[in-house]
Amino acid sequence: MFADGLFLGFAVLAVLGAAGLVVFRHPMNGAMSFVVTLISLAGLYALLSAKLIFALQLIVYAGAIMSLIVFIIMFLNIQPSDLPKEETKLVYILGGLAVVLPIGLFLAKIVKSLPLSSTAILGNDFGGVKQVGLLLFKDWLVPFEIVSILLLISLIGAVVLAGKKEAVK
Amino acid sequence: MTNDLMLLMPLIIVGAGAILLMLSSAYQKLTHEMAAYGSALVFAVAFLVQLSACITGNAVLFSGAFNGLLVASSFSKAAGLIILACGFFTAMSSHTYFKQNDFCSPEYYSLMVFAASGMLLLTMAQELITVFIALEIMSLAIYILVGYDRKNVISTEAVLKYLMLGAFAGAFLTMGAAFVYGATGSTKFVKIAQYVAAHGFMQTPALIGGSFFILVAFLFKAAAFPFHAWVVDVYDGASVPVTGYMATGLKTAIFAVFANFLVLDASLQSGWITYLFYIAVFTMFVGNLIAIGQQSLKRMLAASGIVHTGYLLIALVAVSTKDFTGSVIAYYLAAYAASTLGIFCALSYLGGAGEKRSTFDDFKGLAKSRPYSAAAVSVFLLSMAGIPPTAGFMGKFYIITSAIEAGQVTLAVLGIVSSIISMWYYLRLIINMYFCEAEEQFGEAVPSNLAPICTFVLVVCVFAISLYPVVI
Repeated sequence: MFADGLFLGFAVLAVLGAAGLVVFRHPMNGAMSFVVTLISLAGLYALLSAKLIFALQLIVYAGAIMSLIVFIIMFLNIQPSDLPKEETKLVYILGGLAVVLPIGLFLAKIVKSLPLSSTAILGNDFGGVKQVGLLLFKDWLVPFEIVSILLLISLIGAVVLAGKKEAVK
Repeated sequence: MTNDLMLLMPLIIVGAGAILLMLSSAYQKLTHEMAAYGSALVFAVAFLVQLSACITGNAVLFSGAFNGLLVASSFSKAAGLIILACGFFTAMSSHTYFKQNDFCSPEYYSLMVFAASGMLLLTMAQELITVFIALEIMSLAIYILVGYDRKNVISTEAVLKYLMLGAFAGAFLTMGAAFVYGATGSTKFVKIAQYVAAHGFMQTPALIGGSFFILVAFLFKAAAFPFHAWVVDVYDGASVPVTGYMATGLKTAIFAVFANFLVLDASLQSGWITYLFYIAVFTMFVGNLIAIGQQSLKRMLAASGIVHTGYLLIALVAVSTKDFTGSVIAYYLAAYAASTLGIFCALSYLGGAGEKRSTFDDFKGLAKSRPYSAAAVSVFLLSMAGIPPTAGFMGKFYIITSAIEAGQVTLAVLGIVSSIISMWYYLRLIINMYFCEAEEQFGEAVPSNLAPICTFVLVVCVFAISLYPVVI
């Protein structure tokens, strides 16, 4: 029962944070609201007994990646005068809601059809470093390895698109 | 084991080649011309290795270590050959293009080879997470190539649009994969097929929703009807060789994985067939409408790419899930790739410095000063329009006969109608080249012989591909 309450709390917080990310005018407020979503997601992972993912979500996403995003917003030094005027924002949000609503209802129907799962804590070291590692290196070797190519490409892309042009011959 | 290694070899060569190019581009001594030769060499070697691999049926690569996530088949081999050939010709035409345009660095070629590695993975992937990562490998490399000219505003706009919309498509794919996993308990194609065979497709809402989102992502990447709006701007903003690469290699990879996913199970395909029917029809006719209105050659070719996506969707509707070989799709992709690459090869040396010639009017009277080039471009355009004896005709012929065999007569007729409408904008360029007075002389010397040579090799390819089924 307590776990169900926690689930509801985290779920509501996650959705509110995401909504705030879209609605807030200043990027910094949006980023802070995004942190709420990331932390509530970590809570949801913990409810599913995914210990490692819970820790990684907090350390990597809510910690490292968020601080990078905040740093970038700081570097850009955005003043209120830099922000675009959004007079028709409300119309867009309402219009967007109207468009997304049928998809949302469809998704709700899908989620309802999924089998119920319990929030009881799983034993056997489920979700621990060892279990996840074994799974990653035994069953999911190919995706794990090709992700490194993906990261390499984004690295080159950052250098090519954002690096100093004079240095490139 | 050795056999598996040989089947995987093209991917290994391309991946290693890309990393080698990336590392060596850190050295000042490596000019981008050398990088162009290097990447062409990588593509050529990988092409020959892929060609030497003989394969019938499905071969699960390293089923122990890779857990059955990669599967090679004759379809994936054919798609791989097309992708590697596209890479080779793009590298060659880029070499010429960058003699006249000055924003190249050796990383450009490394990214092109990386994109090819993503495409090859995509043709072999038989599992949704692998599909997602391979798709992102390919897309990320292409995004960077599109925005390579940082001083060009149009190109920057194109990359921003493509990145945003592409991220949406990626998000749809992951969401779809999550739903499919929720329904079937696995993301492997084999397991999903087993589940569908046992429980039926229409009985599981999560499976319907999941496959819907996955199809949305594929249709977006293939530029089909409701998701086609980005194509014209993105193709226009990218440099000519990159546009050619996107129009051919990327499309081949997407249709390979699209077909692999759709033939999982007969009930999955039949569940979506009505919608794919309408999407194919709208894709063809909307693409034609957009293409007719264009003044710029690149934008016209982008819109005609949408139309060709429509023809390929006809082939997907008509595909049979039993004994799937994908020969019709692979043949059409090869025919389309040869003519599209050819025209982009020609544009990369005819376009002039800074792509100054871009509209239909700019090519008036080309036949007088450059008769051979004009003839080659005409062959490519006729092939795209589907005039015999070119490869495009044979490709359309196969698609339409396969549609009739599958009982989709309406679709076949609409395909023919669309192909007649498309003559309008293909013949318009030919008329401009042959029957209009020249406004300029196209006098400047061709900066390098590579792109012209490739253009004429591709002319030979267009006829060779059309003769291939007759000879074999």
